[in-house]
Amino acid sequence: MEFDAIVVGSGITGGWAAKELTEAGLKVLMIERGREIRHQQDYETETKAPWELPFRGLGDAKLYREQYPVQMLNRHFTEFTQNHFVNDAENPYTTEGDTAFTWFRSYQLGGRSLTWGRQSYRWSDYDFGANKRDGHGTDWPIRYADLAPWYDKVEEFIGVSGQAEGLKQLPDGRFQPPMALNAVEQHVRETLRARWPERCLTIGRTANLTQAKEGEGRAHCQYRSICARGCSYGAYFSTQSSTLPAAQKTGRLTVITDAVVEGLDYDPIGRRITGVRWIETKTKQHRRATSRVVFLNAGAFNSVHILLNSASEASPNGVANSSGVLGTHIMDHANTLSALALMPGWEAHTSFGNRPTGVIVPRYRNMDVMDGTGHTRGFSFQGGALQSTWTAGRRDPGIGVEYKAKLRHPGMWRMVMVGFADCLPRPTNRLTLDRSRTDANGLPVLKVDFAFGKEEHAALAQAKADATEMLTAAGGTVIAGTDQPGPGGTAIHEMGGARMGNDPATSVLNKWSQAHDAANLFVTDGAQMSSSACQNPSLTYMALTARACDAAVTMLREERI
Amino acid sequence: MAEPARPGWNRRDFLGGAALLALALGIPVAAVRLTDLPDDEAPSERQRQLMGRVAQLVIPRTDTPGGGDVGAGDFTLLALAHGLSGSGAPVSSGSIPGLVRHLRRDGSLRHAAWLEAELDHRAGGDFLGIPARQADVLGGLDAAAYAEGQDQHPWRTIKTLILTGYYTSEAGGSQELRYELVPGRYDPDLPATPQTRAFSSDWTAVDFG
Repeated sequence: MEFDAIVVGSGITGGWAAKELTEAGLKVLMIERGREIRHQQDYETETKAPWELPFRGLGDAKLYREQYPVQMLNRHFTEFTQNHFVNDAENPYTTEGDTAFTWFRSYQLGGRSLTWGRQSYRWSDYDFGANKRDGHGTDWPIRYADLAPWYDKVEEFIGVSGQAEGLKQLPDGRFQPPMALNAVEQHVRETLRARWPERCLTIGRTANLTQAKEGEGRAHCQYRSICARGCSYGAYFSTQSSTLPAAQKTGRLTVITDAVVEGLDYDPIGRRITGVRWIETKTKQHRRATSRVVFLNAGAFNSVHILLNSASEASPNGVANSSGVLGTHIMDHANTLSALALMPGWEAHTSFGNRPTGVIVPRYRNMDVMDGTGHTRGFSFQGGALQSTWTAGRRDPGIGVEYKAKLRHPGMWRMVMVGFADCLPRPTNRLTLDRSRTDANGLPVLKVDFAFGKEEHAALAQAKADATEMLTAAGGTVIAGTDQPGPGGTAIHEMGGARMGNDPATSVLNKWSQAHDAANLFVTDGAQMSSSACQNPSLTYMALTARACDAAVTMLREERI
Repeated sequence: MAEPARPGWNRRDFLGGAALLALALGIPVAAVRLTDLPDDEAPSERQRQLMGRVAQLVIPRTDTPGGGDVGAGDFTLLALAHGLSGSGAPVSSGSIPGLVRHLRRDGSLRHAAWLEAELDHRAGGDFLGIPARQADVLGGLDAAAYAEGQDQHPWRTIKTLILTGYYTSEAGGSQELRYELVPGRYDPDLPATPQTRAFSSDWTAVDFG
């Protein structure tokens, strides 16, 4: 099989690569390791009520312990969504020594675009300049101005609702109208603005439509907040709702599912990828195709896995690894519940509908003044105010009529602030192949060696203190909070491993997300990241993908690759 | 907040259109029944009666059905056998008398057997035979379980599952509380009164409440 381009993976960035490359006139093969999930037809639990499921939405804990011991730790993994996550027993990985990494995965058409949190934030030059400023990692070869037009393009296409705030650290985008703050959140926003003007509580910038995109068959959000089941309204951005139909409309896309890529063929003389090899997971047949250009979008860790597993005599440490840094400097945001407060005094207020986003307080530390305690980068908060419901009854004594009557009504307002701290890129946090164990396809599994350092702990300590101070100032009573991060992977923002940089001796990719060692290879998922920032990364992956596609098409037209 | 315009494609269109197919294709609800449990996990008929009665005492019948009416007892037994809400984890038996003889080999508790013995003990005989005193006896256990320092008390786990069984049942979720799968809009600030009913479909509240 011969194509102009092969895209490995169909998630958030794979969908974008397929759309951009097919729309530019290329004949594209998209290879997805998981099963097909058809938009609107295959969202099997979308409209189910809890009473229609055997375990009422909680799922079979016994099954989960045996088959999904990692995925079950994800808050979004439920009986409604379990079919959108991998079976851990069938998809093993290992961790180094006593380290831990919770790797949350979705192997299916659409990948994690079906289950993602939809939070869509631009990075700023505080982020792209972070490595240069404090000397950790390698300097990004790009700055905000390089990416700004691509952010515009991506936001307009996927649809991001949000409030423009004019913040340097979180540039405004091309937003659809914002979702509204509830009464308590509005009060906290005003409290912060009066006392700490640099701390801005704003509504989440989320890839849920507040205005329909009729031409694309996408309705506005119905405020169900059950996105991870799949949304037949197409109201949140996913491959299925958005990029895949656009790519298919060109007539130039071929999609293969149930096909796991085992490696790339590399010609060391021509310094090119000459083929992509995969295994049909149902038949165990080996297949191969060729193309003029290859885009790796398998998800940060799996793209690294493919490159490592492509080792040959000519490239014994893996493809695109002449630098030896492939697999190193992986990151995930240090993430924890910084503060939970009861918010008395708002009993006369309630809300209707399930808003599919929380609020954020963007970074405000270590910007123009280095005011972080023990850390040089940023942290931000996500959270929101909510009223409790029947589940609060678990904590309350009582039985009988009065107890039942009490649970009939919404409970006291509470506000949650979850801290996300920048994760330093460290050479010791790395991925390798564990050749002592193979998966169901006979491929060596990935080994993850990851730990947070003192800087992330210091940032979360300050985040806890700040969150407590803010919620207390707003009249809240803080009842819980911690400064200890969950294990790596908790934020589901794993990234790095094939970092971008100017120097081929110390980085895997150049400023176009193009491999230094193979001119026709682009890696445009989270693997390319050189630093982590403290905001959700998916929008940046998408913008980098669109930019890389444009560069690749130009290079192809000019016959430079 | 005004209801947003719904250009083009609204809920009715959706439910009347292609998605009907999706609805029809819905996953078959596996018929998980108590009778499917292995012998050493299957509750006795008396335990079923007892748990149904206990569920009804926790959530009595009022203008809506009670816990026993909607099968919250059987759900609780099924959930316990499958380890939901942490009920399959090893327990510390030190502070609560009478747990040890109900432990499984892995240190987890056979909650149903423990509850049966505990309520019979507190009743001074057959708990099911003293309907007039049952609420007092169960109330006594509840008070003990929610005393200071009793966070790990097994009754809390059982009560959690009874609540789950009730409020995720059709009657508990949509009659006692309100259930709206497709709100269609978000009103951020509405007046609340003592009559305002909570939503069982407020998933964030269920998670974090």
